[in-house]
Amino acid sequence: MKYVDEYRDAELGQVLAGEIAAAVPAGEHLKLMEVCGGHTHSIYKYGVDDLLPDAVELVHGPGCPVCVIPMGRVDDGIAIAHEPGVIFTCFGDMMRVPGSNGTLLEAKAQGADVRMVYSPLDALRIAKANPERDVVFFAIGFETTAPSTALTLLRARAERVPNFFVMCNHVTILPPLRALLESPDLRLDGFIGPGHVCTVVGARPFEFIPAEYGKPLVVSGFEPLDLLQSVHMIVRQLADGRREVENQYARVVPYEGNLRALEVMAEVFELRAHFEWRGLGFISRSALKLSEAFAELDAERRYSVPGVRVADPKACQCGEVLKGVIKPWECKVFGSACTPERPIGTCMVSPEGACAAYYNYGRFSREQLAV
Amino acid sequence: MSDVACGTGPDHCITCGDVAVPLTVLQIDELRGLALCATDAGAHETVELALVGPVAAGEQLLVHAGVALTRLEAR
Repeated sequence: MKYVDEYRDAELGQVLAGEIAAAVPAGEHLKLMEVCGGHTHSIYKYGVDDLLPDAVELVHGPGCPVCVIPMGRVDDGIAIAHEPGVIFTCFGDMMRVPGSNGTLLEAKAQGADVRMVYSPLDALRIAKANPERDVVFFAIGFETTAPSTALTLLRARAERVPNFFVMCNHVTILPPLRALLESPDLRLDGFIGPGHVCTVVGARPFEFIPAEYGKPLVVSGFEPLDLLQSVHMIVRQLADGRREVENQYARVVPYEGNLRALEVMAEVFELRAHFEWRGLGFISRSALKLSEAFAELDAERRYSVPGVRVADPKACQCGEVLKGVIKPWECKVFGSACTPERPIGTCMVSPEGACAAYYNYGRFSREQLAV
Repeated sequence: MSDVACGTGPDHCITCGDVAVPLTVLQIDELRGLALCATDAGAHETVELALVGPVAAGEQLLVHAGVALTRLEAR
């Protein structure tokens, strides 16, 4: 397939891996964080980490939107789903994320009308087809997904659909990166930047990372050669003494982003003062809510929700995995009590979650043997 | 409703996260700002065009959650 096949050439991959190994300064051990869950998934699906030299270690970041949803927000969604007459819609992965008292899928089994949608626009279609019922969309995702929700809300208002509501859980990628960079328990040498988030916000907003923290960031595509080339570009920067934002994914990502997408997001959303991230705690101005102009479409204003903060299960170490402090297989319940079939933590739910990626692509058995 | 595969199996779930997919434009509904697009595997999907402006049949779009984020042919 065009734009795909040419980025999966195994021979070129070997060549790039050799160039990476040659570029690493002697005696250095480099820790690079791939911010995005999509990258984590690709790394383990294609075995990119197997090609890297021992001197380059990839650390998984907080960029899986399912993984960072705290249990209390799941509980709030389930409470709305149980309201009489409500059709509750969400993306597929979200249905399996555990709250303190079960998942949305279990709520569906108990009688709640919970439906999986591919797009918020699908949820709007359900609302138009069921005018006598409230339809609530549980919106999650980073800046890649937020424009879809924003456009849907604009359509709902323009088409005067009175029974469509959004429970907004959209988050933004820059505040948690700053929080990680300020964290004393994590040493990072560079970042693989989130390609599709950058399609919307551009590469420019990441310039604070080299400017203020002296770390290189390379915006990367999602194919194996994209990732290898991005690692090579970061290693070259470190070897050359440069610290800057580079755009490996220029075939897709404009440096300034998608201005129309930023406009619709600004029209529909405003920043929350605080939002809880699973494993990272509360981060200021790190999430979006509906603006006053869209208050009548806000599910959290339409329905009262528990709004209770729920601590993660004690056995679960998703927080440390999300911060890159431990590897998935170092979690006490990885692969035993916590599996993709019966996840305890969010990182095991989504295919983009670091734990699920490790587990699904056979890293589990390899790492066990290495212990 | 989209017929693009959406599961929670080991592969990407394109409903979530930072995953977008290249789709080819088949037909355009200019009035509603929508396009019928196809994946490489032949699955069809209706795509919102508001963020990329006018497109032509045969163009490739990067699509996430039913919305085209950018044109691939353009760069």
